[in-house]
Amino acid sequence: MAVDRRMVGVFGVAFVLRLLLICLFPSLPDLLTGRVEVSTPVNSFKRLQEGLYLYTRNVSPYDGGVFHQAPLLLPLFSLLPDIHSNPIPTAIFYFLVDLVNAYALVQISESGQSIQSRLHSAVRKHIQWDGVSVAAWFLFNPFTIATCLARSTSVFTTSGILFAVSNAVSGNSVNAMLALGFASYLSLYPALLFIPLVLVCYDQRLQSSKKSPKAVGYVLQHAAILAASVVGLLALSYLITGNFWEFMSATYGFHLLVPDLTPNVGLWWYFFIEMFDSFREFFIGVFWLHLASYVGGLTARLRRQPLFVIASLLGVFAIFKPYPSISDASLYFAMLPLYRHLFPLMRYTFFAISAILYSSLLGPAFYHLWIYAGSGNANFFYAITLVWSLGLSILLADSIFSALRDEWEQDHPEEQGTEVKQV
Amino acid sequence: MALKYTWGQRDPDSFQMTAAIRNLRENPRFLFTRLPNILSFLCIVIGVAWLLLLPLDDNSRRTYISENALLPGQVHAYFTGSEQNIFRGYKQELQTLLNEDRETEDQEAEVEVTPAASNKVHSILQAAGLKVATQKYEYTSAGITHQGENIYGIIHAPRGDATEAIVLVAAWKTADDELNLKGVTLALTLARYFKRWSLWSKDIIFLFTPDSKTGTQAWIDAYHDLHPESVQPLPLKSGALQGAVVIEYPFEHHFQKLHIVYDGVNGQLPNLDLFNTAVAIAGGQMGIGANLQEMWEHNDSYEARLQTMMRGMTKQGLGYATGAHSSFMPYHIDAITLQPKGEGWEDEMALGRTIESMCRSLNNLLEHLHQSFFFYLLMHSNRFVSIGTYLPSAMLIAGNFTIMAIALWMRTGYYPESKPDTPAGEKSKSEKSSKTGAQKIEKAVKVNETALPERLMALPLTLVTGLHLLGLVPLWTFNNIFHQYFTTATYIFVVVDIVLPLFLAALLSNGLGVSKPIIPQQYLLIKSFALLLLGLSLSTLATLNFSLSFMIGLLCAPLSFIGRLQGPAALRYGISTLGLVLLNLLSPPIVLLGVCWYTGVSVETVLTQAAFGWDVWGMWTQVVVWCVWWPAWLIGCVQLGSSIF
Repeated sequence: MAVDRRMVGVFGVAFVLRLLLICLFPSLPDLLTGRVEVSTPVNSFKRLQEGLYLYTRNVSPYDGGVFHQAPLLLPLFSLLPDIHSNPIPTAIFYFLVDLVNAYALVQISESGQSIQSRLHSAVRKHIQWDGVSVAAWFLFNPFTIATCLARSTSVFTTSGILFAVSNAVSGNSVNAMLALGFASYLSLYPALLFIPLVLVCYDQRLQSSKKSPKAVGYVLQHAAILAASVVGLLALSYLITGNFWEFMSATYGFHLLVPDLTPNVGLWWYFFIEMFDSFREFFIGVFWLHLASYVGGLTARLRRQPLFVIASLLGVFAIFKPYPSISDASLYFAMLPLYRHLFPLMRYTFFAISAILYSSLLGPAFYHLWIYAGSGNANFFYAITLVWSLGLSILLADSIFSALRDEWEQDHPEEQGTEVKQV
Repeated sequence: MALKYTWGQRDPDSFQMTAAIRNLRENPRFLFTRLPNILSFLCIVIGVAWLLLLPLDDNSRRTYISENALLPGQVHAYFTGSEQNIFRGYKQELQTLLNEDRETEDQEAEVEVTPAASNKVHSILQAAGLKVATQKYEYTSAGITHQGENIYGIIHAPRGDATEAIVLVAAWKTADDELNLKGVTLALTLARYFKRWSLWSKDIIFLFTPDSKTGTQAWIDAYHDLHPESVQPLPLKSGALQGAVVIEYPFEHHFQKLHIVYDGVNGQLPNLDLFNTAVAIAGGQMGIGANLQEMWEHNDSYEARLQTMMRGMTKQGLGYATGAHSSFMPYHIDAITLQPKGEGWEDEMALGRTIESMCRSLNNLLEHLHQSFFFYLLMHSNRFVSIGTYLPSAMLIAGNFTIMAIALWMRTGYYPESKPDTPAGEKSKSEKSSKTGAQKIEKAVKVNETALPERLMALPLTLVTGLHLLGLVPLWTFNNIFHQYFTTATYIFVVVDIVLPLFLAALLSNGLGVSKPIIPQQYLLIKSFALLLLGLSLSTLATLNFSLSFMIGLLCAPLSFIGRLQGPAALRYGISTLGLVLLNLLSPPIVLLGVCWYTGVSVETVLTQAAFGWDVWGMWTQVVVWCVWWPAWLIGCVQLGSSIF
């Protein structure tokens, strides 16, 4: 492939910007690593360091109950030089992961699947951004930069998801499943993306070849590939840790049962702090069921645009998953520019963005008042996480509205552009 | 999509309502240009009026002790008679040493603390049976080096386990740079006196600092191991600090009233209970009146209350340290300074008893002060308003910018076919030429383009972000150059502030061959984004430092109402030039010069103090000035300046 000069420019500037930030403000990465908005118990770089320390000294990394991330990260990070004496290589590694993620986004965008797929063709095709612009939105998003500088391990999950999608839209359904397996292995929740992702693969397959496979068989076959990849990764993990159940309960058990209620930008921690212990199991079930129920509903309603379902689900996860951080929001914001053609139909972008901006300023301020100044309390910060979730929900609901409206206009070309009025 | 339901029988009132709403809807000019202006203006007026109403009896509350454990004034203070002889003895010794050294070394500075006097403090504390340690420190800011040595001694609590401590501070120089000889002596006497009591359940730390600006900061940073390299670590520590009281007594005669200073760095305040305890003990138990905010004659009238409140707000807004106690506040340690003031019949023993009683109250605490308010405005020693009552005024002012930003956003995109006031440009010319034709075209466009206009946001977003980042330049400059250049730098910035907006406006309007000329919609978008950022920064700031947010909000208030002017050229030039001159009077450097001229303080002093605050105290008022206020102001000027080109 010919080297795209613009792409090289954007990627280069993004890389240099990150490098400049850590060179000019050497304390910035550690500051961000400590922020609850960026680092949660399941993606914190500090906790990874703890696990790494134990791992390199031949102690089980899960001893002590601090480390809750996938074991395969440990050998990977033990290859990198020591973070305290030499932080630059690790930082550059993270920068490169960001660039790789951006490259996956470019591929997704250039496939044009977000605009034209088997069952759907957007009405406003002429309004769109090319892949490089979409990548630029991702790379220059302050949330992405913060996640990258904080060296949060969510970036690997992000890579897994983005590569799963980019492989799916380009027809490599096996690779897509392997990438999704990797993402699910790291953080569990991406497994929920399986159904829409299989639909993307399936539509892609039908479009490219005349011979249509049987739907059920196709799905089962891909589910098997996904399961096989996860099992393979688990087996590798078993080889590393030696104690299968210990690492299962410390990682996936931790994701599922939410025992650590450190504040984060999500909705779970406060709720479960307030909860009486006897109701805990019930509500954990309810919360997970709630999160999972979006998959069925959105997939059925938006059957014609499975890629959009994936994007919306990423938004839902950023709001409702147990340990969300701004990296999840940055992944959702990375997918949104693919739907540039829907922007003119969205009605509350300004309000949603304002709410998000407000909460991203007020959040740290209230956290400061609560933890450091001692003049506020937990309710201050929780109120702001509510506003943050509200902003994201408005954006999400609005984008789904415009996607539905787009479908409706495709069905009723004569009604294009009529104003919706509530009388 | 279209939701419809029949009206059925409805009462006439609601029908009129719907008619009014429909009227509004069909009148976009009113909805998008007039109404936001009215609303914004109302917000500002109500915000200011709200603040002015606070001193009324109905809006403010009487203070009360919220933490029952404090029990202020419930114990008898025994610091009397014989202790006075010891006080006189210590004072005589220190006085002699100071005089001797001054004669021999011939020091030019009147109140310079000599090493001999410090050694004396050290030996007195040791003789009283305290554990004593010293700490050297050095700070450099704006090319000036501040150095000194702290001496401190710890009384270990006979009934405690060294997990909690109270701090008593006596600085050799008071906050007003006077020699605090009696204050230091009193602290030494109290140290000896307290040591003999067996009732302390918290450690008591006596801290002697060379001055009120640097010493406590160095000590408290080192106490929490957060000190810079130029500051020595502490060899001796105690438990978590529960409260701190600073003693000042910088004159020889007897005093009349106690002046309580409570403002911290960045507008942070101590828990109101600590202030109330001091007032209750001084007033109730000792019979000494308490003053605050330099209001020596407070007759509890509306004017006096308002003036007290305004003084408090000014100090809070500027965010500088008002005394040795201020450095404690960022670490969530409540602290106040007690200053004797006036000529009266109260002697140092009365102050000593007040401090003894305060220490007894703090000693009673079972947990950190948390019951009472941290956000309050005091207007009398026993009247205050809490955050719930006063916050709306700053929020309304910050809200006015947000309202405007939302209105401008809607105006740029909602009704393309009847843009409220399409500015004179190429667009309107073509429209004017054939009005019917234009309508037809628009109808056609409506079908093709599905009615919704696209906003051109790349340039406005870049410009607004870029100008906010540009604020880092003055921020860096004013915190890092040497103090001799501050005055020159300020005047340079006055000139820059006149030229830069005009240059930017010319660049935007004509492109100057660099970029495409900007279209009117983008001016509105630039203003919208700038006001949105201003509004959201100010409302965040209001929760951290109400007064600063209020002041900046008022200074920025005109920015809501100015924009690019339309109309005949002569009128435009006239009004915009006049507007630019007026706006320049509200630019940060001019406001600084004006305030300095009014108060009679030199610009260099103010800026040196500010740079010192940034380097040592961690004060961030400058960030708000240069990264919030200045960019917003600059964009306002660019808007107005663009009407000339």
